[in-house]
Amino acid sequence: MAAITRVLVANRGEVAVRVIRACRALGIETVLAASAADVSTLPASMADRALCIGPAPSAASYLSVSSIVQAALGSGSDAIHPGYGFLSEQPELAEACLDNGLVFIGPGPGHIRAMGDKLAARQAVAGLGIPVVPGSEMIGDFSDAEAVANEVGYPVLLKAAAGGGGKGMKAVHRPGNLATVYREAAAEAQSAFGDDRLYLEAYIANARHIEVQVLADGHGNRLHLFERDCSVQRRYQKLIEESPAPGLSDEFRNRLCEAALRIVEAIEYENAGTVEFILDQDKGSFYFLEMNTRIQVEHPVTEMTTGLDLVREQIRVAQGERLSFSQAQVVPTGHAIECRINAERPERDFQPSPGTITRWEPPEGPGIRVDSHCYEGYVVPPYYDSLLAKLIVSGDTRMEAIARLQRALSSFHVEGVDTTIRFQASLVERAEFIAAGSPQTNQGVNTGWLERVAIPSIIAREKGLQGGDEK
Amino acid sequence: MDLNEDDVIQIIRYLDESNFNELRLQLGDLRIVVNRTGSVAPLPEIEDAPETGPQATLPPPQSPPPAIEPSATASPTSETAPLAEETTQRGRRVSITSPMLGTFYRAPAPGEPPFVEVGTVVDEETTVCIIEVMKLFSTIKAERRGRISRVSVEDGQLVEYGQVLFLLESESD
Repeated sequence: MAAITRVLVANRGEVAVRVIRACRALGIETVLAASAADVSTLPASMADRALCIGPAPSAASYLSVSSIVQAALGSGSDAIHPGYGFLSEQPELAEACLDNGLVFIGPGPGHIRAMGDKLAARQAVAGLGIPVVPGSEMIGDFSDAEAVANEVGYPVLLKAAAGGGGKGMKAVHRPGNLATVYREAAAEAQSAFGDDRLYLEAYIANARHIEVQVLADGHGNRLHLFERDCSVQRRYQKLIEESPAPGLSDEFRNRLCEAALRIVEAIEYENAGTVEFILDQDKGSFYFLEMNTRIQVEHPVTEMTTGLDLVREQIRVAQGERLSFSQAQVVPTGHAIECRINAERPERDFQPSPGTITRWEPPEGPGIRVDSHCYEGYVVPPYYDSLLAKLIVSGDTRMEAIARLQRALSSFHVEGVDTTIRFQASLVERAEFIAAGSPQTNQGVNTGWLERVAIPSIIAREKGLQGGDEK
Repeated sequence: MDLNEDDVIQIIRYLDESNFNELRLQLGDLRIVVNRTGSVAPLPEIEDAPETGPQATLPPPQSPPPAIEPSATASPTSETAPLAEETTQRGRRVSITSPMLGTFYRAPAPGEPPFVEVGTVVDEETTVCIIEVMKLFSTIKAERRGRISRVSVEDGQLVEYGQVLFLLESESD
């Protein structure tokens, strides 16, 4: 396979910057495919060339397979990096690349399909002897749902077969609510994925979300890069991710990583991916959740602990090279934590806050990494997600990393748009987060903690403080 | 989708901060056209509104990176001067921009005469070019009356969304 010389970056924001940097490090030229709203952004200026592929709404730009492939062909690019989100997990783009002699920097369309249908993936993984959350095959209609829910026992979780990322996913706590929530979930799945098929799982209340980073080349080398704990979530969107997972025993960690590798081996996966698990803290058991067939937002956490450049490895593997290291050489050190900094107003139910950034002073120093596309004067457009930056810190121990994170957040100054910085600062000072502890015994942080405990408490305190100021 | 006043201001600001001459937004039945040169006849600062093209997509906060293939993008800016003169002498100058990224074709098939030339009088329904996106050919109509005063892109080139394809002198006002 010929070496990649020019990559079309089919994404925006911080991940576009991230991919362009990795390409530069490899001496590869970049072409940014930008929407009309993004033609004067940082990645557009960093890329060797930027092409306007369509209007601001992503349906006509970042989600247009034909425009993106045409932009790659027309600019003489030989590969496309999809980033995350948008078309990264749509088999159509990977397939169109194949058809047009372009390298898709990611897994093959077959891999994306195999894991993209969450219900089919669940069945395939169960077939490998890896536990999946107790639940159903596909639900045909409401009476099916009722029968399975009674069998599994409430609370239950309705999920979109085509889904992932929390869309079409809804918890049902009482039998009386099932009918309403079933209709809502089906409608949401239909609008998000054009597919209203649902399945049902037991809802694990005291759960941690732990995922394993995997990386595989086309020569049969399939490795894991250990785990990340992403239990601090709001509406299934991660806010804080860290590695290693606090309090996880080596024995448990090995079981998770081994299970992830078994899946990767079974589907002969290639490129970077993430296998997500749910850990039931009451039972001390884990279940396969889903596999994401792309680079993830939180990949820098793993880069900080392993010292590897995952995007560079993605590109190397895509051009047919072998992974440059063996499993034995993946030796994570220290602890890394990532905070997602969003343009949102926590006190207003995390309402997005687009606008012009008038002050942008990210923290600096040893053990601090900020991945961002923002700068003073940048206009945060209203069309896309609200991620402004990822603040990633590392330390020898978790406590050291938390202390560094606290200092970094307090010296991260942004004005002009509302951000989650102050909220995050309050979050990482909370006793439950600091204690974390053993997942098998810890009753503090779980996937429901942020919404149930932390957000109400932090918002109430903020409002109290503001009230105090006024007096 | 509903647009409020703030949205419209935001849209105008985007155009203002870009190097594009015109922005067209269609949301269902609602269609908004924002033009840098305005709808009234000759503007003195017309020379300050460069052709869209490679520059339009590379207005960087830092130094502009070199384009990989300058030949594959729109016409040189040196031609703007005579145009400005033209504009002051005759009617309103408007541009026909590309509604999509793709390959620009001036003629229905290789070897055939172009749809339009400089001087061709067009109306709303006149086909001016074809844009190809992955073997799908879309005919582009002038969508207004006027006389073609310039063909801004060479046959077979890649054009971006919003890139100026033709300049048109409006004869209506």
